[in-house]
Amino acid sequence: MKSVVTTVIAAADAAGRFPSTSDLESVQGSLQRAAARMEAAEKLSGNLDNVAKEAYDACIAKYPYLNNAGEANSTDTFKAKCMRDVKHYMRLISYSLIVGGTGPLDEWGIAGQREVYRALNLPTGPYVAALSFARNRGCAPRDMSAQALTEYNALVDYVINSLS
Amino acid sequence: MLDAFSRAVVSADASTAPVGDLSALKAFVASGNRRLDAVNAIASNASCMVSDAIAGMICENQGLIQAGGNCYPNRRMAACLRDGEIVLRYVTYALLAGDASVLDDRCLNGLKETYAALGVPGTSTVRAVQIMKAQATAHIQDSPSEARAGARLRKMGSPVVDDRCASLVAEAGSYFDRVISALG
Repeated sequence: MKSVVTTVIAAADAAGRFPSTSDLESVQGSLQRAAARMEAAEKLSGNLDNVAKEAYDACIAKYPYLNNAGEANSTDTFKAKCMRDVKHYMRLISYSLIVGGTGPLDEWGIAGQREVYRALNLPTGPYVAALSFARNRGCAPRDMSAQALTEYNALVDYVINSLS
Repeated sequence: MLDAFSRAVVSADASTAPVGDLSALKAFVASGNRRLDAVNAIASNASCMVSDAIAGMICENQGLIQAGGNCYPNRRMAACLRDGEIVLRYVTYALLAGDASVLDDRCLNGLKETYAALGVPGTSTVRAVQIMKAQATAHIQDSPSEARAGARLRKMGSPVVDDRCASLVAEAGSYFDRVISALG
């Protein structure tokens, strides 16, 4: 799984050398920002259901046609699945905050995403709307510290970019 | 390959739940500089550690460098030194990552079978790894004593932390023990 530490180790291993001073510097750079990432992950994990629910509601409010018969949010089953998807993204963002890299999002969220949505005929616009709401809803220092919010926003942006 | 953080994430993902308890990872972050110092202590002394470990192994078993021994001729001695360095390198990676997966996947997987096929004696290999374990402990603790060093005692200033990185010593020791049990 891609993180600063695993990237450094993979590079050192490919060259067959012990971790060098610059390798250790890279790891330390990641560890210095880790406290803020941990804070964001903790706050997000603790409120995962609420954050996902708000984001989902915002996206349905923006795209009410999704409730029409035959659309992606028309039945209770579909609604539950939409809600679950948003929650999955928020959970993967919390994982990526912990790892300190985009590994969890890349491997479990983004790989194959385009193909799945195309096969299921799902629009990506509403996901972007939900995630944009989740991004802009965050507020420092009310929700978390400014640095933690920066880390969180960067990862939400990463997912939004992957969907657009 | 996983590190301490991705290990927590992978096990949380198995139950599609957020990572519940972050206290262990926060402790990992808080003591991050100690870990980097420990890795640096091993990496900076690696070639000395390896040659001492192999020399120690041979001192205890002179048959290794006599005709027919596994460290005779130079070609096989060189292979032995190379393997010692490889094992130490992967242990260092594991210590840096805080997780044994890189050691397991890239070094220990199939190592016992390879050595059996090549006729490398397991007891000698284990002995060299044990010596490297003691060396790594000494380097991470950085606690030279009169009793052991005698006239060669060289103090490198006062200790930075009172517990002399006991948890990292134990963690590094567990990775060496992993190598030993994989070979045994």
